[in-house]
Amino acid sequence: MIRDGVRRLFRLALRRQDRWEHEVEEEITLHLALRAEQLVAQGLAPNAATDEAMRRFGPLSASRATLLDAARHREHHMQRAELVADLRQDISFALRTLGRQKGWAAVTIATLALGIGATTAVFSVVSSLLLHPLPYPHSDRMVFVYQEPSTGNNTGISVTLAPSADVIRAWIAGSHAFEALEGFASGPVSLRTAGEPVQYQGAQVFPSFPRFAGELPIIGRMFTAEDIATHAHVLLLGEQLWRSRYGGQRDVLGTSVTLGDSSYTVIGVLPSALRPPDVGGAPPDFWMPLDVNSPNQRMMLLGRLRAGITTAVTTRELDSLVARAGSVANTEIPFHTRLAKPSDRLRFRDSLAMLSGAVLLVLLVACANVAHLLLARTAARHRELSLRAALGAGRGRLFRQLLTESLLITAAGAALGVALGWAGLRILITMRPPSLDELRVAHLDTTTLAVAAGLTVGSGLLFGIMGALQSSTNSARSTVRSSAATSPGRRSERARGTLVVTEMALSAMLVVGATMLMRSVENLQHADLGFQPHRLYALNLTLPDARYATPAAQAALVSELTQRLKQSDAVRDVSVAAVPPNSMSFSVGRLEVDGEAAPPSSATSFTEVNAVQSNYFSTMGIPMVDGTSFTDTSAAARQVIVNAGFARTHWGIRSAVGHRLRVAQSDSEPWLTIVGVADDAATFGPTMESTAPLLYTPLREADTSAPAIMVRTTGESTALTQVRALMRTIDPHLPMTVVNVEDQMAGSIDAPRFVMRLLSVFTVLALALAGIGLYGVMAYAVAQRTHEIGIRIALGATRQTVARAVMLRGATLAVLGATVGLLAAHWGTRVIEHELFGVATSDPVSFAAAVVVLLSAAALACVVPTRRALSVDPIRAIRAE
Amino acid sequence: MPSLPVLKGTLDLLVLRALNWTPMHGFEIVAWLERAAHGSLDVEDSALYQALYRLEDRGLLDAEWGVTGNNRKARYYTLTPAGRAHLRGETKRWVRYADTVTAILTAPREALASGDTA
Repeated sequence: MIRDGVRRLFRLALRRQDRWEHEVEEEITLHLALRAEQLVAQGLAPNAATDEAMRRFGPLSASRATLLDAARHREHHMQRAELVADLRQDISFALRTLGRQKGWAAVTIATLALGIGATTAVFSVVSSLLLHPLPYPHSDRMVFVYQEPSTGNNTGISVTLAPSADVIRAWIAGSHAFEALEGFASGPVSLRTAGEPVQYQGAQVFPSFPRFAGELPIIGRMFTAEDIATHAHVLLLGEQLWRSRYGGQRDVLGTSVTLGDSSYTVIGVLPSALRPPDVGGAPPDFWMPLDVNSPNQRMMLLGRLRAGITTAVTTRELDSLVARAGSVANTEIPFHTRLAKPSDRLRFRDSLAMLSGAVLLVLLVACANVAHLLLARTAARHRELSLRAALGAGRGRLFRQLLTESLLITAAGAALGVALGWAGLRILITMRPPSLDELRVAHLDTTTLAVAAGLTVGSGLLFGIMGALQSSTNSARSTVRSSAATSPGRRSERARGTLVVTEMALSAMLVVGATMLMRSVENLQHADLGFQPHRLYALNLTLPDARYATPAAQAALVSELTQRLKQSDAVRDVSVAAVPPNSMSFSVGRLEVDGEAAPPSSATSFTEVNAVQSNYFSTMGIPMVDGTSFTDTSAAARQVIVNAGFARTHWGIRSAVGHRLRVAQSDSEPWLTIVGVADDAATFGPTMESTAPLLYTPLREADTSAPAIMVRTTGESTALTQVRALMRTIDPHLPMTVVNVEDQMAGSIDAPRFVMRLLSVFTVLALALAGIGLYGVMAYAVAQRTHEIGIRIALGATRQTVARAVMLRGATLAVLGATVGLLAAHWGTRVIEHELFGVATSDPVSFAAAVVVLLSAAALACVVPTRRALSVDPIRAIRAE
Repeated sequence: MPSLPVLKGTLDLLVLRALNWTPMHGFEIVAWLERAAHGSLDVEDSALYQALYRLEDRGLLDAEWGVTGNNRKARYYTLTPAGRAHLRGETKRWVRYADTVTAILTAPREALASGDTA
């Protein structure tokens, strides 16, 4: 009889094909031989016996083929079955092992899930906004096309110019670099209704735009080139408006709607899936024709480059087309073409890069944690593994077993992580501030899921292999001989110490960064804006050409409006400016100061200007630091008021009043006399520099085509309603947007605050993980040393000494980690420099805070292990060995 | 004695039966079947090997290499628990089937008729 278990040994060798083919042959040969022997024994002659044996077996070649076939089928089947059985065995064994260590498994899975979840959420945003910013076909070849000044931009912000209509015509007619070039313009439109006019978002596009974006009208048709040529008043509705306002009815086609002063015929409906080309922008409510031949039409341009065409080649081509067209629009200063990838236009970009970095640190901490959790486990299972190796489990088998366990763990972690990531993303989107509205389009996409899965399988394999390698080297060397098993522990303990120090260091970096951002946001909240936004509103008007054709008519309206507003009880103060807060207007030319050396005639610069009424400064609450407001607003008086930053740069502590300056495009430009210096007003909110040169000139008739009426209301809750009502009595169809300046200023720090909160969440996460890591190391160390501690106590060591020894080890790791982390942070905070406001990258408070937070977390992590060390009963500890 | 034709599907059952007591190699099974059938079975020997491989494939048999009494290497077949269960079940079915057929074939004609009308 054959022993049990022999088969498996043979089976391994059997896998090779020639082997089992040979075996079939062998079996046939043996059968024929035995049959022949039987026949000879029954009295046949040997030759006849062989023949008879063959005959009884059947036609040899045919049956051999059949048998080989059957054998092949059998082998394949059995190999598969064996594989499945092994896998099932591995998995069920792994589940049983993990089930015995529920706490360990839970911590490991949670750690992984947190790391993967945070990464998934943030990477979804990166993927949706940075990698796939525009939901159009071939978006990788999309570029925005605009112009920017070749010289003279000294403003520190990027100044771009939407190309003029004749430039665009030259490009569309002459460029070979683009497959398609689309124009886009958008703005608020007011829909005339039976009651009050309702504000909606309108967009103007070329007829080819839906096709360019891969969409078609749901019903009706798109407008055509002919519609544009004949100036047909037609438009298409956005799907959302169509469904909400028109009930999704087909009979909306052919009806007429009045936007502002013009009426349009509805000819179709475009789907919500058709998105405007501003990154993350909401779909417009009305789609209207964009006429490239209209002289004053400004638009942004989006093009799809032909495959293989570089941006450099395209830029050259477009520049030469502008030169050839001899465009007249921008002759004052040279402009050149610039192409920008859609993701370049994302405001959130820098913050997103920083958050990605932060979340990567969290993931690293999580990975380090999982690594040392697995290492600790392998060390703890050293005896079990050695025993199994000694009992004949192959190294490959053990290896596979450990790998299965870690893959199971990581798969569970990944599943939970993706769920967490999804939930996190939803929370992130819900919490988004209005200024980061583009977050709305972020979603979990296949790229992200693939990355998450890759991370998981990668880390599972990595840690599995690490653990397995460690166990196999261990089991090769030491066997079951020693129950103390200290030697393999030492090395892994050092490895795990290193991992914990790394975790602490990474957390320290995050704590420093998060503290800096918190302090920065704190500074922003309490920043002095240089003006009073409280109860201040900007009424931005667009005076329709049809009714207010001349500057005089416009000025008359504005004058009437301000007079009536001043009489209102709801209004404390009214003033008119050409440029409202949060906007800018520039004067281009050489900024010359009388008495200073004139800059070279070729030098141009951008100087911010605003035309305002005399009482603008008192209405806005901008203090005059020197001189007075305008005393004579006539053109002949040529008075100008400058901001404090400008005065300081040129006259230091001396008075700027009485000095002369001009923004010269030619030498005949008249000089302006400074009559006052106004304090620097951060009308863009505290994040923007307010000391750059700013010139205020008196408001004239010519400046009132799109005036901003600044209104400070009394405290009454109905003040704004009264103002609106008042405006309507004068002109019920005046297009107007009302901006609450106080909200606008508060909103300007929404984004930094949001980023700071996210970073804080990640920091707390990393810190918690690092704390768990330190706790794990300490708890393990105490458990390993129970015997030693018992002896020490028996020999008279006081509880204090024992506690001190444990705490000392924890503190050493924490201090080491903090030191490394702070050094790294000292270098690394440069990355967030441009996100900081009033906080230096070497901010001592932030670094000190990091030390305190880190050591507190470390102390907390050491409490339980220390208590356990103190409660060691010497007698039991020594006897247990 | 004339050789007994093997009904379709019954060869598998016979092979399982042969292995019910002890593992055997191919020729031993053939020899045992011939002895049990008091003569040769009306199948080619190769059919038996096909049956063996088929049964092994279905997990009813297990095979391993061993050594014969004459020190020759041979492939020995053993019943797996599944094979044993299969044999038990199939035997029961076969016996019932055979009894029924026998009863019908050997019953007196009037018994059948009265059975019809009853």
